[in-house]
Formats: sequence, structure tokens, C-alpha cells
Amino acid sequence: MSALASAPSSSLTYAPVLDKRFGPKARIEARPAKDIATITLTDRSAYIEVARFLRDDPACAFDLLLDLVSIDLLNAPAPLRPRDGSRFQLHVILYSTRRNDHLRLIVNLPEQNPRVPTLVNLWPAVNWFEREAWDLMGIEFEGHPNLKRLLTHNGFVGHALRKDYAAGQRWLCTEEDLLQTDLAAQTETPEDIFETMTVNLGPSHPATHGTLRIVLRLDGETIVAAEGECGYLHRCFEKMSESHTYSQVIPYTDRLNYCSPMINGFGYARAVEDMLGVEIPPRAKAIRVILSEFNRIMDHMVCIGTNLVDLGALTNFWYAYQAREAIYGLLEACCGARLTSSYARVGGLSADVPPNFDEWSRSLFPIIKTQLDDIDGLVSKNRIAHKRMRGTGIVSRENAIAWGFTGPCGRASGLAYDVRKDKPYEGYDELDFDVPVMTDGDNFARYYVRMEEMRQSLRIIDQQLRKLPKGPVTTDDYRVILPPKEMVYNEMEGLIYHFKVVFEGTKVAPGYFYSSVEGGNGELGYTIVADGSGNPYRLKVRPPCFPLFAAYEKIIKGGMVSDAVATLGMLNIIAGELDR
Amino acid sequence: MPAKVVKLEAPADNFAFRVYLVEVVKGMVRTLGHLLRNVVPIFVAEGKKLAGNGDGSVKGMPIVSFPEARRDYSERFRGRHILKTRDDGSLKCVACYMCQTACPADCIRIEAGEHPVLAYEKYPTVFEIDMLRCVMCGYCVDACPKDAIWMTKDYELAFFDRKSAIYGIPMLTEKPSDTAADGPGYGYRPYYGESPARKAGEFEPSGLPLLPVLEARGAAINRMPPPPPPKPA
Ligand code: SF4
Ligand code: SF4
Repeated sequence: MSALASAPSSSLTYAPVLDKRFGPKARIEARPAKDIATITLTDRSAYIEVARFLRDDPACAFDLLLDLVSIDLLNAPAPLRPRDGSRFQLHVILYSTRRNDHLRLIVNLPEQNPRVPTLVNLWPAVNWFEREAWDLMGIEFEGHPNLKRLLTHNGFVGHALRKDYAAGQRWLCTEEDLLQTDLAAQTETPEDIFETMTVNLGPSHPATHGTLRIVLRLDGETIVAAEGECGYLHRCFEKMSESHTYSQVIPYTDRLNYCSPMINGFGYARAVEDMLGVEIPPRAKAIRVILSEFNRIMDHMVCIGTNLVDLGALTNFWYAYQAREAIYGLLEACCGARLTSSYARVGGLSADVPPNFDEWSRSLFPIIKTQLDDIDGLVSKNRIAHKRMRGTGIVSRENAIAWGFTGPCGRASGLAYDVRKDKPYEGYDELDFDVPVMTDGDNFARYYVRMEEMRQSLRIIDQQLRKLPKGPVTTDDYRVILPPKEMVYNEMEGLIYHFKVVFEGTKVAPGYFYSSVEGGNGELGYTIVADGSGNPYRLKVRPPCFPLFAAYEKIIKGGMVSDAVATLGMLNIIAGELDR
Repeated sequence: MPAKVVKLEAPADNFAFRVYLVEVVKGMVRTLGHLLRNVVPIFVAEGKKLAGNGDGSVKGMPIVSFPEARRDYSERFRGRHILKTRDDGSLKCVACYMCQTACPADCIRIEAGEHPVLAYEKYPTVFEIDMLRCVMCGYCVDACPKDAIWMTKDYELAFFDRKSAIYGIPMLTEKPSDTAADGPGYGYRPYYGESPARKAGEFEPSGLPLLPVLEARGAAINRMPPPPPPKPA
């Protein structure tokens, strides 16, 4: 890593560069931020120009677009509201793979006619993010190739994440299905219609492992056009969190990536803790790391196991799920549920791990290792598996960056970015582990990288168990977390803290914050906008598989249907986090 | 000790790989190994009770033959709620609305009444949990300042209609069957076993400053009555 890469992220680093380039043409406010560098555009017209500069200038080189957050600041308190009284705000979250730095570009939009030019030509990954912003916030993106609803259906009226949209409204979906006709209409010549046919894959197809829909136009077995559709599992997570306190959001986060539920909760809790400036005790951090890694193993096991079923290798599914089942036992003993864990709390964990946590965790090692070796032995040198996975679903490194890939899929394409390594959190920097990277970018690489990651996860768990510190698992700041029950039952002071946390929630000072962890599928980012009350003003999740699924239709084009199924499984699209 | 990036290579396309037969045999050895490991303990356990691992599974076999055998869940399992009672059989709950407020699924409904026993002050005349809405998060247990609501390990909750999914006080009050030998047993609760510090008087108060609002009231704070419940929404 270069010296630049390890330098702390600061908006002030970029201020001179931008000032020199744009001068008075676009006034750019660079404010020191607690989380990532922030640049606020005061002149909207320079949006594209500044964005292009941020991407291309070697001193910036923000080549990966992570997230696009749209915020409605209607009735927001003064510190949040822009000076010009704009109602909407867009946060473009960028990452520089070359310089390992995050940046947030803010542009304010007026209440009437909120529109900006699209960024699709700069970062193709923004395509679906912009569709989402249009769908839920009603921000128009000029020049967007396909600006239509994404998470809600065609019969939906209004934009759900606007503050003046009542959460209880219902819209019946009565419109006819536009997607299929859209795709069928794309033909150029009449013969095309004759020779190709449109086929639905999903929304409840066994290969989608969830509720996704892909409409394919086929010429024989070859896919000539494809379009993905999501939103079948949209449960208004972001809207609902605006009416819940910070700690009440945690049960919702379990349902994001339900293959690795705890990572979501830990990531969210960490974002709020960072925002509050609360430090959790070392034991809580260590336990979070251990359980995150167990969850990562589960996530990869499910991905590999189910995908191999689609490829016809059913046995591996049993092996993978056996390991997962064993881990679930441990998770349940820690938090009281197998999947809906709700183990994280803002300020620590809901309870300490069981007394035999160490032996229990270690007793899982041989199980996981055996299953890993068995899958490895059956698949890694299996000619059928190679024929199905090697050379299919190829994503080059350039494409991976352009399409916003992170996590195992990015690493399989040679993008050596891992939040645990590049932006270490919860003490990952003190652990010795490898980040496996491959350059093939095909389905086999995704499989192989995941296999190695599971081994590395075991290494991390082993190290962390060795030095599992003793002590409490929650902070002793009782403005954030419920005080221990001893205090609540016996002391008036404890009862009052308890009362305040339950009834008012934890108050977070106004501001915005981006924080990310390495989820099972890649960078799981949370953007939290706080307005000083006990509820988040706006919560935006960056689901790692969102850009993966957005790119899916491009990856499978020109391939066979069977390859498309293999690719879908290996990208590991989890509808829960895709649709939120 | 920062993490290192290591480059992986896909397994080489060598002769043994191409012959295919070698790998087939290797694979068969693996799968047959699994078969034997699964099946042999069943023959060994034949005649004895089929309970090798204590969790209802046979050793080696990861399958639990539900419902004859059941997996054991931990003391923290979050299942059906129970309302704890005092020694005289009355509910410990004082209808303070804390659990209702903490519930993220908004599925608890409480109505408070004045208790005939003066010392108990208030009690719930209505206490309903909509089990279909409940997400079993345990926040109500965490929020209760009176140790009045616990959870059990009962996860078999099925209903014929929505109405019967709303559990009222009679359904929720703890029954002897909940802790009987074949009952579900206690699950998620505020503490596990008797923590030594729990006994009154032994607990060390934290050195934390009081909340700013309360500081002004000074010493009077310790005589302050419990905060009043908010108006039900
Ligand atoms: S377990 Fe959670 S959802 Fe269910 S009643 Fe308690 S607080 Fe509400
Ligand atoms: S928090 Fe406890 S005491 Fe208060 S209403 Fe709920 S069960 Fe009753």
C-alpha cells in the first residue's frame, strides 16, 4: 500500500485540488467529517464536471461508486438543511481502489423539479441506484437510459421515502406487466420476433433462491437480451426505520442478508456507535469479530451449497448445510434465535456469550474443516464443475470496478478490496489473515475465493478466541444502552436511565454518517442521517448484492441459460438485502 | 499484522484431472465415507435409544427426527412469552407500557387498571401480544423493569385464524406446564441463574454522571417516584 492509502481520510485533502481546478466556477465546501471525506457542491451545474474530475484526476481517482443516497430534508432541523433551503440531497459515496479512500459528494436539489444529470456514463454501477432514487424519492436523472420504478410496482403512486408520504398507504398492483412487453419490443426486425422467445426466470424459480425475476430473450439457448427485476421482497426497511428508535432497527437488520444475519446487525450497531462516539469494550469487539466470521462461513456455505445444487451436485449441499447447522447451534446459544438473531445492541451485545463459548466454537472447527475439505475434494478438481464454472459469467477487473462489485465477487475478478483489510474495524487490523484474490473473474473464481475465505475465517476465529478478552460486553454509558437489570431493579438512577433509553431512545446529534463492514457479499454500508431525535431521520443501506444483480443482465448476455443459472448462484443474490 | 492479499490459481489442468476416472474414485471414497459414518452409528445404536448427541440426533447423523426427537435449545431461546406472577399469583406486571414502547413490531397492547392491593398500585386489565406480528426479538423482556415478562422455548405457534393469534392474559400467564419436565422451559429472560450481584445492597452503583436534566434535582432524585407512563397512543 502506498503512503497515501494509509493517510487518514479528510475532506481537506481534496479541497485544494478541487479549488485549483474549479475555482469560483463551482464553490465546493469541504468540511472535515468524522467518517469519510465530504465535498458539498454549492453549484449544481458543476455536478457532472466535478464527478468526472473526481473519477479521472489521479489525485482523486474515485473509480468505484459504492452508493447513492437520496435524502428528503423536508422539515429537517437547521444543521441538516442546506443553506439555500433545498429540499432534496443526494450523497454519492465513492471509493478509490487505487488510493483506498472513501469520499462523499453531496449535491442539493430544489423542491420543485428535483433533477440532475445521470452519472451512468461515468460509473455504470449507478444505474440501479438512480432508479431506486427515482422510485423512492422522485429525483429525476436526466439522460438515464431506463428510468423506471425498481423496488415498487408499476401501480404505485408517489415516492415512498419522501417525508410527506404516509407510511401506511397501500397501492394495489393492477397494471399489466410491462417488463415482458418491454423486452419483446426491443427487437429490430420482424424476423427477430419470430426467432427469439421471451422467457421468465422467476420470481419463484428454484434457481433464484429467493424472489427475483429475470426476463430473458432467447435465441435457442442463447440469451440475446435480459432484464432483471427486483422488489418482490421489498419490506420498506428504510421507511420503517424512520419511525423506530435506533435500537429498534436492529431486528430489521437481521432480515437483510438472512444468510449472515449477525453481520448486518453488527455493522448497523457500529455505524450508530461511531456516530455517537461510543467505544464498545474489547470483549464485545472480539465476539463481534468471531461471530461475524462464523456468519461469513455460513453465508459462503449457503452460496456454494445451493449453487452446486443448481449445477447438479446435490451432495455438496448436504455437506455445506451440515456445517451451517452446526454454526446455527452456537449462534442460538449466544443470542436465542438461529436466524433472527438481534444480537447486536447499540453499545455492545444483548448478552455475553455462553460460558462454554470457547470450547463450543473450537468444536465447530473440525466439522467445518471436514465439510470444506469434502466440498473441495468433490468439486475443485471435478471436470464437470470446471466445465460448468470456468469461463462462464466472466467479469473483468475493469468491469467489476465499473459495476460496483465488492466482496468475494470483486476479489474473484482481481479487485483486492476487503473492508476488513483496507478499512479495518473492530480490531481486524490486529489479526493475521489472507485476502484471497483471483484474476479469472469467472464463476469458478468466485467459488474458489469463497472456499479460501472460509479457511481464512477459521484462522481469524482461532486467533480471536485465543485472545478473547474478559470483561463486560456493553458500554457503561447508560444513555445508549439499557443498564444492567441489577441497577434497574434496585436503584432509582438505573430505573431512570432505563426509562429514558426505552421511551426516548438514544439521541444522536444531527449529521450524517457512512460506515461499512465487510458483509458476506461485499461492502455493506450504512448511511445514517440523524436529526437529533431518537429515530434515524434517514437510513440507507448499501446492500452488497444490489450492484451485483444490476450487472447480472450484462454478464449473462450472449451466454447460455444454464450458465446464467450458475452465474446467478455464484453472485449470491440475497433478495432480503437486495430489496430491503 | 495487517492482512495480506494472496493470489489464488485455479487447480491445474493436469493429466489426472483429464483422465477424470481418478477424481471419480476419489469422490466416491469421500461420499462413501460419509455414508458409512452416518449409517454405522445407527446399527450400533440399534436397540438402544436413538439419542446419540443429546440433541435428538444420532451420532454422525446431522438429521433430527422431528417430532419424535427434538433439538435442545439454549436457555436464551426466544419463544412464546409468559407473564411472571408474584407468590400470591397476581401478575408482576405493573402496566408501565415499557414493553409496548420497546416493541419494534408494535404488537403489544396494554390497558392499565388500579390494583385493589395498594402496594401493587397498577396492573394490566388487558395485556395482549399479537403472535402473528411478534418478531420474537426479546426487546419486551429487556425493557421490563419489573422482571414481569419472560420468554419460553416454545416455538410451535400455529393458529387457525388471526384472532386466536392474539394472546391475552389467560394465555400469557405462566403455567406449571411451562416448566414441567416435558414443557418448553424458560427461554430468554433478563438474567440466567442467580447472579451474586443481584442481591440488593451488593450492587455497586456506576460512577457515571447523572443525566443533565436530572442533575438539577440533586439529592431529591433518589426519592423521586417512578416516571409516569405516557399516554397510550
Ligand atoms: S418479542 Fe419483540 S416483537 Fe415480540 S412482543 Fe416482544 S418486543 Fe414485541
Ligand atoms: S414492561 Fe413489564 S411491567 Fe411494564 S407493562 Fe411490560 S410487562 Fe408490564
